[in-house]
Amino acid sequence: MVMIDVQNLRKDFIVSKKKKGLRGAFVDLIKPEKEIFHAVDDISFQLEKGEIVGYLGPNGAGKSTTVKIMCGILQPTSGSVMINGLSPAANRKEVVSKLGVVFGQRTQLFWDLRLGESFELLKRIYRIDDNLYQTNLKLMDDVLQINEIIDKPVRQLSLGQRMRGDLVASMLHSPEILFLDEPTIGLDVEAKYSIRKFIKEINQNFGTTVILTTHDLDDVEQLCSRIIIINHGKIIEDGPLEMLIDRIAPYRYLIVDFYKLPEEINHPEIEVMKKENTRVWLRFEKNKTSAAKLISDLSLRYQIRDLSVEETKIEDVVRQVYKS
Amino acid sequence: MTVILAYLYIAKTKILSSLVYRFDVFSTLITNFIMVFALSFFWKVAYQGVGSVDGVDEKQMITYTIISTLLSAAFVFDVENTINQRIREGDIALDFIKPVNVFGIYLAQDIGSIASSVMLKAVPLFIVSALFIALPLPASAMGLLLFLFSCILSYMILWLLSAIVGLTSFWIVELGPLGHVKNALVGTISGSFIPVWFFPEGIRKVLELLPFVYIYQLPLGIYIGKSNFLDSIKGITIQFVWVCLLFAIFYVLQKKARNRVFVQGG
Amino acid sequence: MLKHVKHYISVGAYSLRMSFARQLEYPSFLICWVIGNPLNYMMGVWMIGVITQRFQALNGWTYPQIAFLYGISLLSHSLSVLLFIQTWGIERMVIRGSFDRFLVRPVGVFFQFCIDYINLIGFTDMIPGVIIFVYGSSVVNFEWTFFNTIKILLVLVGATLIRGATYTILGSVAFWTKSSRSLISMVHALFERTTYYPLSIYPTVIQVIFTFLLPFGFISFYPACEFLGQDSGFDFPLEFALWTPVVGVILEIIAVSIFNRGLKKYESAGS
Repeated sequence: MVMIDVQNLRKDFIVSKKKKGLRGAFVDLIKPEKEIFHAVDDISFQLEKGEIVGYLGPNGAGKSTTVKIMCGILQPTSGSVMINGLSPAANRKEVVSKLGVVFGQRTQLFWDLRLGESFELLKRIYRIDDNLYQTNLKLMDDVLQINEIIDKPVRQLSLGQRMRGDLVASMLHSPEILFLDEPTIGLDVEAKYSIRKFIKEINQNFGTTVILTTHDLDDVEQLCSRIIIINHGKIIEDGPLEMLIDRIAPYRYLIVDFYKLPEEINHPEIEVMKKENTRVWLRFEKNKTSAAKLISDLSLRYQIRDLSVEETKIEDVVRQVYKS
Repeated sequence: MTVILAYLYIAKTKILSSLVYRFDVFSTLITNFIMVFALSFFWKVAYQGVGSVDGVDEKQMITYTIISTLLSAAFVFDVENTINQRIREGDIALDFIKPVNVFGIYLAQDIGSIASSVMLKAVPLFIVSALFIALPLPASAMGLLLFLFSCILSYMILWLLSAIVGLTSFWIVELGPLGHVKNALVGTISGSFIPVWFFPEGIRKVLELLPFVYIYQLPLGIYIGKSNFLDSIKGITIQFVWVCLLFAIFYVLQKKARNRVFVQGG
Repeated sequence: MLKHVKHYISVGAYSLRMSFARQLEYPSFLICWVIGNPLNYMMGVWMIGVITQRFQALNGWTYPQIAFLYGISLLSHSLSVLLFIQTWGIERMVIRGSFDRFLVRPVGVFFQFCIDYINLIGFTDMIPGVIIFVYGSSVVNFEWTFFNTIKILLVLVGATLIRGATYTILGSVAFWTKSSRSLISMVHALFERTTYYPLSIYPTVIQVIFTFLLPFGFISFYPACEFLGQDSGFDFPLEFALWTPVVGVILEIIAVSIFNRGLKKYESAGS
């Protein structure tokens, strides 16, 4: 079942160019210069119910703009977005009642009041009945331990606690789709862990479709079944993470410590990447050969003290994609 | 010398940044013109069939109103908000360790803003008022000279009052709107709208003991020729005393504020 | 429909509660307003009194009559501060992207926006408003009959809507231009000069502007003329007091539709 259907979406912004110096300022005062910036430039994709999709891209690539159009905050310049068959532009209230939205950089909680007050307001806004409200709070407490912070004023919460609060706030009305814009930004390991666990659980228990924009690739690795990469407003990759890695960087690394560094390592399947003292980084293609074979080949010729095998770093893959 | 250059540079950047708001420039001009225009009718109606009151006639009062609006358009004193904001955002300690005096920076910024206000607000307002209401000429050349001198002192009083109010936020951050009380006082008993000389004598005497009338009423009175030379000099002397007094208060407060930041870590 | 109304009332009531709780977190913040605003307006009306005493009645309006008019104006001002003060800050909210939060919730955006922060400062304007109005109405011997009371209430509702709608329309300019703060201060200046003393002191052309183009005359001048039997300079069919709420409702409808149109231009912040 298609949950989100994006077709030929475009969003242009008009930005004014500023000239330099006092003279420039006067010229701008009389006749400012404008130019058009294509933040989102003709993108299309479909998301199925229950998917967790990582939406990646460098800063300013158009990630947040797309998310904001999908949840009805921005109006597209052209193209269409359909959420569960409805357009957020035309049926805003109906569409957003099925959405949960979290912006990691900005809280939607009331700063000066206890956390619970924000939840109470949302209960009224989404017309959540008492039973569902209590059930949901209970569920969230199991994963996010929300009860221990519910009576604290939001301004006294740590960043991680606040993010827990924001996640609960976005899930109180059991939305079918959850938009998370950098949910783990600036958080410590423990907080990241509990937030990832939460996302996994709601996805499994309620079949919530999750769209996640992030710069933290561990989030992607641990959560996302599919990734969409956008740059300069265009989609440049779309598919499962493994497929992307296999296509872009189908490598593994063999890190070998020798007793004595050999002059040269000759092997048809191996490429030497880096040398450091007696340690050497060797790269091989994982579908052409196996680590076991290479190790036995090498140990025949050289004296090996220690070794380890490493997967391609997802960062390297993504960096490569951004560059192309 | 380099310090002066630094302050000049700060003033210049302030002028530049205020030029960015094209829209604001035009709408502020219109707002100010509406104020002058409306007030001039207020006085016309009040003076209907009345020659002069307290030695001031209709023409003088309209000049008073125009120049008063010009002054309040030109006087910028953001120092209060700046201090308040820097404290709230925790940047004040950074400001204090800069090699130039932080209050010098704030003053330079405000003076930069005044320069742009004069260009973009006061001069156009003067022209529009002269065309559509009346040419607001000073009573005499000497009056103009004394007026300009007095204005500098007026601004110093206003600026120091704002800086003092701003400094109170070191102790009570939420007292932000203390500035509102001050502005209410400046708006009502400084003579910016209705000169205090029209007030009943008892009240007038009390108000003359406060610094507010020396912000607007004194220079304006000089400009329209309400005060003679001797009164003007006397008034300017009192202004000067107020500047010294307020500066002393300001000086003590900012010393304490610095200590507070460095000893208690803000 | 009833369900709809109930939903909005429950959201509104809870927001009101939260607004109060938020502001009472900082009591010293309120104290300054409690001193500043009454001081400002009491001095303001008193100074007009001084002028009428030293000079003469303003265009046939005596001081008590002006106080009556001033009272109506200030009461509507305080109500508009309570309900619509958010509209003064549309510029800031557009720049910071603060409308995101309202747009992702299934309640009308304008409604959420207005009730997000019901401002207690409105009450600090109401104190002098009540004092001045009670003073004015007792000195001019205003008769508190049933009909007059209803009329006064209708006038206050209408006047509040006229003020709120004007702020909304001009504040919404920020959706297109990213800047409307200076327009809001322009409106403040206009309200101050057209609603606190009789409009008839201005030339006819100005009065026409403030009747038909910017209907600020209906905030306090025309109703006061009606109640006090003063000559307004215009002959309207029906009583002016009835026109104020009509003008207010029409203007508010226009304002909300402009606001909603502006919201389509909203660009959020960052990206």
